[in-house]
Amino acid sequence: MLLDVDVRSKDYADAAGRRAPAIEGLRFALKRGEAGAVVGPSGCGKTTLLRIVAGLDPDFAGRVTLPRDARLGMVFQEPRLLPWRSLFDNVRIAAPQASDAEIDALLARFGLAEHAKHFPGQLSLGLARRAALARALAIGPQLLLLDEPLVSLDAALALELREHIAKLIDETHVTTLLVTHDLSEAIALADRIFVLTPRPARVAATLEIDTPRRRMTAERAKALAEEARVAFKAPRG
Amino acid sequence: MIRLLSFLSMLALWQGAALLSDPRHLPAPGPVGLAIWEEARSGALFSNLGATLARVAASFALAMTLGSALGYWMGRDRRVDAILDPWLVALLNLPALVVIVLAYIWAGLGEAAAVGAVALNKLPGAMVVAREGARAQDPLLDEMARAFRLPWRARLRHLVLPQLAPYLAAATRSGLSLVWKIVLIVELIGRPNGVGFKINMAFQLFDVRLLLAYALPFVGLMLCVETFLVQPFERRVSRWR
Repeated sequence: MLLDVDVRSKDYADAAGRRAPAIEGLRFALKRGEAGAVVGPSGCGKTTLLRIVAGLDPDFAGRVTLPRDARLGMVFQEPRLLPWRSLFDNVRIAAPQASDAEIDALLARFGLAEHAKHFPGQLSLGLARRAALARALAIGPQLLLLDEPLVSLDAALALELREHIAKLIDETHVTTLLVTHDLSEAIALADRIFVLTPRPARVAATLEIDTPRRRMTAERAKALAEEARVAFKAPRG
Repeated sequence: MIRLLSFLSMLALWQGAALLSDPRHLPAPGPVGLAIWEEARSGALFSNLGATLARVAASFALAMTLGSALGYWMGRDRRVDAILDPWLVALLNLPALVVIVLAYIWAGLGEAAAVGAVALNKLPGAMVVAREGARAQDPLLDEMARAFRLPWRARLRHLVLPQLAPYLAAATRSGLSLVWKIVLIVELIGRPNGVGFKINMAFQLFDVRLLLAYALPFVGLMLCVETFLVQPFERRVSRWR
């Protein structure tokens, strides 16, 4: 196992300062080279979970097991590029060990070659997302973390970026964990889908996909969607 | 063009006023220009301007470095803010003259006391601005830096300083004009050279010509610093906008 997540409990404080459980007894694991998708309704604690895995939130009970000194490539929902640095420099700062040629190649792969010298403010959200993805890959991650990578893009752009990510996972076999509220997105990208319950979140069902990404067929996708729907409705406990 | 006209009308007004008044009280631009030329030829103008400029640079650099670091720390850490805030308020409300006189009494009439006193006057202003800048840092980018495990040097260079730069530029602008004014007072009270010393001498001799011959070139010099150093720096750091 490359990633083993066991969050026994994680509280969150609402606006009034009351503490309520956000996650309770959530367990899942990913093998090296696998792409896992965490799917759940909005506000069920998906982003919280991703931040815990990324080591950004130490305030929880449980354990996240990763290889020692694992490099994590994080793609946040907002691209979080440095607005005062060019795209090229944004990648360079995150990945100082990468050569200029490697960075150029990476930017070219995401169709960003002509934007290398541009500042992030000059880019559309779609391009900025791609740049954030390029930055995460530049560090040569053992684990790629994607937080709603396709949210708030228009349909055509979302589809295009989805194909990009699918191709990336197929070609580089980078272990990937993505969280999304969109089941079809998970079906199109993952080897394994973890369906979460509403708050407090735990894994309601795990769907194995034996025909992931390029090999996914419409019928199979439909069957998976049906399976997930059943899992959502299943009684708790 | 309008600026030039405005400047020329200022000179004309000066010339007109000088014609109507006692030349000992208000000498005309011509004689003042001549006095500047004489002081420049003897080298006294440059050595005194240089001494003052060196004090401005030293105390400004000291106050900005220390003030930015302390202010940034206060902005990032509530506890430090609580500890240092009363000191900051006290310093902000301490009259410049009190600091200068006390510095000379406690540390002697030396260069360290002079530069230190000026720096101490500028310090709280720099701290306040840097604290504001630190509070305005984007927490989302901080988190990004943590996720990518950026070393502190990279964070300082690529995250902290670019976000702090507009604040530091504002502090530089207001700080420079404050510092050079206080440096003149420090020199007037306890230094054997510099523009402030010369102005004191002119005052003793009732020589307005000499007073203006030192004051005007120095104002011009500070204007040059503002135009050719501070403003280009401001433009550079805000280029990405």
